[in-house]
Amino acid sequence: MQNEQEFSKAEKFWMNFKLYQLWRFIILNIKVYTIAVQSKWR
Amino acid sequence: MAKVLVIGAGFSGHTAALYLGDKIGRQHEITVISNRDVFGYVPSWVWVGVGHMKPEKTIFKLKPVYDRKNIKFVHAAAKEIHPDAGDQYVLGEEIGTGKEIRLNYDYLVIAPGPLLNFAGTPGLGPEQGFTHSICSMPHAIKARDAYLALCDRMKKGEKVKIVIGTGHPGATCQGAAFEYIVNVHKDLVKKGLRDKADILWLSNEPALGDFGVNGVQIKRNGHVLKSDEFIKAVFNDHGIRYQVQTGVTKVEEGKIHWQNYEGEEGTADFDFSMLIPQFKGQPFKYIGKDGSDISTKLVNPAGFVLVDGKYGLPYPELAQTPSAWPAQYQNPNYTNVFAAGIAFAPPGPISKPFTNKNNLAIAPAPPRTGMVSGVIGRVVAMNIIDLIKTGKMTHSERMTEMVAACVASMGDSLWDGNAVTIVMRPVVPDREKYKNEYGRDLFISHLEMGVSGAWMKFMLHYTFIWKFKALLGWKLIPE
Repeated sequence: MQNEQEFSKAEKFWMNFKLYQLWRFIILNIKVYTIAVQSKWR
Repeated sequence: MAKVLVIGAGFSGHTAALYLGDKIGRQHEITVISNRDVFGYVPSWVWVGVGHMKPEKTIFKLKPVYDRKNIKFVHAAAKEIHPDAGDQYVLGEEIGTGKEIRLNYDYLVIAPGPLLNFAGTPGLGPEQGFTHSICSMPHAIKARDAYLALCDRMKKGEKVKIVIGTGHPGATCQGAAFEYIVNVHKDLVKKGLRDKADILWLSNEPALGDFGVNGVQIKRNGHVLKSDEFIKAVFNDHGIRYQVQTGVTKVEEGKIHWQNYEGEEGTADFDFSMLIPQFKGQPFKYIGKDGSDISTKLVNPAGFVLVDGKYGLPYPELAQTPSAWPAQYQNPNYTNVFAAGIAFAPPGPISKPFTNKNNLAIAPAPPRTGMVSGVIGRVVAMNIIDLIKTGKMTHSERMTEMVAACVASMGDSLWDGNAVTIVMRPVVPDREKYKNEYGRDLFISHLEMGVSGAWMKFMLHYTFIWKFKALLGWKLIPE
């Protein structure tokens, strides 16, 4: 964020740039799955 | 043959039942008693509430699933619990016939979900009051109808006021209300009506983005980003006004009465309002062998089941004592009674509570829904399986150890929708393990907004309905 209260233009661009978001989708899925699945072993 | 009885078929009860049925359903008797014969995927009701998803897409019948998993299903409302040794049973009332049903048990899982305490705030709620809720399927449908009727008024040029947030100083589930407010915003933008609505976020949180979990903090580019800055940016971007540190005390037609931290009293006018009520435990009767009321041995005054937590610690001490949070969700007086999901009594709040000069406590209750509910349901089920097989429990997971992932939808479109993806480790800060002021793993904890979140939310809807239907590979999907 460019300051504490607003998203910058660049941030908004990346939030909607589909190719980058596809990359984030893959990364987020891997991250969430690997963390969440650890609970199964407890 | 052991008899395991599960009260409730929501996230925690249904999860517990599936693990029990899957692992020991052939050898032992697993029974679920629920007043609903369908499973409802609650996270998608936010879309039902703005008319973007058909209600029937969020539910499925329980009995066919339970038949496959060797689980007996009883469509009845549990009324009384008789936990004394030698004669342990639950009395219920069959839905439709009103017939009394007696179910004996060796192990009991209490997971009926919350009692939506609209009566805790005069004038609150869709039945006796003037506000709406998305906490149950009928409520979400009613909220949708009222919201769409409001849109019709706006299409005729009328300017309206919308208030969304929490309807009680001690309410929880701010995340659901947050999702609803941003979905309403997004829907109005799409309908070209956003300029006709003044939208206000009214919440009991100590700060924006607190969500009842003391906020979310992450490390990004070397500095700590906090959820209050993040959510403030979202609201500023969307033109949503916000007022936190506020407890709703009363609702009249078109007017919400509130008090804030400073003890000031005020009102907020509305044409449409969705406010989350206070949650309480279900009002079961707990009856001893001699017919006496033994509820103090099982539940706290709010009706939540006492488990293996350390109760009564003052907040500053609780915040420094991760071991105060329960690990196995087992009642200390009746060790064959467990509680899962919203039903268990937390040892105290996660967010810092506040009492104003008028003695009004404004303090969000700890959220125990979604992933937390599912994890507890599994831990309880695995421990019961342990007890039946070996007599010794081997599973535990405190909320101070638990990871929670939450995707807060901000519009359901796969093209221009949006969502905030939140990961917290742990849900309840553990300041002993994580040596920072937030008590969290700042590397694992995550806060991100983008279209990818909308895709995740959509994927989660179908993945979790697959899981809850216990279809192929369901156990590979985390809770």
